[in-house]
Amino acid sequence: MPIILENVSFSYSRKTPLETPALRNINLRIEKGEFVGILGEKGAGKSTLAKLFNGLLKPETGKILVDGLDPSSKEAKRRIGMVFQQAADQLFCKTVYQEIAFGPLNFGCSKKETEERVYEAIEAVSLDQTILTRDPFSLSGGEMQRVALASALALRPDYLVLDEPITGLDPAGKKEILEALKKIKERGTAVITVTHNLKGFFPLLETIVLMKEGKIVFQGSRESYLEKGCIPLPPIASMMKELRARGLPVNPAAFTVEDALEEILKLKSAFEKENNGN
Amino acid sequence: MIRLEKVSYSYPDGTPALKNINLDIKKGEFIGVIGKNGSGKSTLALLISGLLRPQTGRVMIGGMDTCDPSKLKEIRKFVGIVFQNPETQFVGRTVEEDLAFGPENLCLPPVEIRKCVDMALAETKLEKYRYRSPKTLSGGQRQCAALAGVLAMKPECLIFDEVSSMLDPESGMAVLETIKKLHKKGKTIVYITHNLEELHDADRILVMEKGRVRLDGDPESVFSDTSLQSLGLALPSLTELAMKLRMHGVTIPWEKTSSPQNFAEEICRLFLKT
Repeated sequence: MPIILENVSFSYSRKTPLETPALRNINLRIEKGEFVGILGEKGAGKSTLAKLFNGLLKPETGKILVDGLDPSSKEAKRRIGMVFQQAADQLFCKTVYQEIAFGPLNFGCSKKETEERVYEAIEAVSLDQTILTRDPFSLSGGEMQRVALASALALRPDYLVLDEPITGLDPAGKKEILEALKKIKERGTAVITVTHNLKGFFPLLETIVLMKEGKIVFQGSRESYLEKGCIPLPPIASMMKELRARGLPVNPAAFTVEDALEEILKLKSAFEKENNGN
Repeated sequence: MIRLEKVSYSYPDGTPALKNINLDIKKGEFIGVIGKNGSGKSTLALLISGLLRPQTGRVMIGGMDTCDPSKLKEIRKFVGIVFQNPETQFVGRTVEEDLAFGPENLCLPPVEIRKCVDMALAETKLEKYRYRSPKTLSGGQRQCAALAGVLAMKPECLIFDEVSSMLDPESGMAVLETIKKLHKKGKTIVYITHNLEELHDADRILVMEKGRVRLDGDPESVFSDTSLQSLGLALPSLTELAMKLRMHGVTIPWEKTSSPQNFAEEICRLFLKT
């Protein structure tokens, strides 16, 4: 069963002079096990959309179903885990163990079951067991973000919704989170992330949802996103798009350094062959 | 302009943050500082802005020793700092009031304060937001307002500690462009970041690791240093591509690696039949 949004609209400060429309007529379907990137400029409605998935905001019009359930129901909340940009904002316990155990205990798991889930969760984000006794606020940014991820995973969600999960981290911290997410996805949890960081996320994304001014302007596979020449693009893909625009025949699906290297070396040998021919 | 002589600093819990740093920052330089978390970048920023004092060694700012309490006010005027979370440095109810706070504290006459505030608003293009509360601005505008607050003190040297890391790429670029303009007008800039891409046009880059300066040089030599990855830094993809192409006999000049457009232009110059 997927997450389905039908004709969803949302405005902030509704029925006041400050009313600001954020989302207009959104239709979207997210399948289980997908890795989805929600892209777009600031103010496009990306974070608003993310908050609708797990019932933090309610749609003004339209319908949202999580595996057929109302997103604000308890069961839907278990199925959708959420992690925000600043992990520090969602941590509140004295030890990492209590932090990760909070969700399962709240959902009525036994102590034994909770303990199992805590160990499972820290393993999934590649944290060492020694971290469990530490104060969450003494951790590095990357570790804190992984603890927030582990807390969401302890509920064994089917969908993980993330809002800019690697912003503000150093390159090592970014890499840690990206690797953890890759592993989580491989284990069958859908990962849905709002992001501006294309360099980091692009290789992981299977489906892209591109938003502009509260509307979805593109929805489809990464390949068709590249094919259509949508923006934003990671730097290499953006360079390849320039090359095509200038009349060089390069593969539109190329977006990694290795892809680009191969394509440019092909251009080189074609160019040299032609020159030798003359 | 700013000189560090054998400077070391440890935090109260005993963690050494900087070890025996010697550094000379020249007037008008744009210096990028990069390094992974915990490498000592922010401690360096606090020391060269006079907010922390070294435990051993000496920090001289514009010829003034930061350990000399009588020079404190002069030092505050000489160097300004902007942090990652500008929310923490706003004091005024409106942008204008906030900008006036610094010059007011310097006991300038009201006419002078007005001039300082207007200059700072103009430099950061925030004129139309002068009566807004800083809290209602967007992330990028807030960062510019924090910068304006520092500019109103007319400092010689500006220090930026990861000012773009929480912003979206577009807002981050806009803030960096504003900073580059100030540099062109003669300000000395120290720009701390995690993002090597932002330092392509810096005059000089320092790479820090475990409280020491590991690399110190112009961007081209630092970007092509093979130890960069072991220092926990990610090379910009276009630079990485240019390095790999060089191994296959294709040389992309350094200045062409600054943007996808420039890079594509060079590839076309090399391989597009005319």
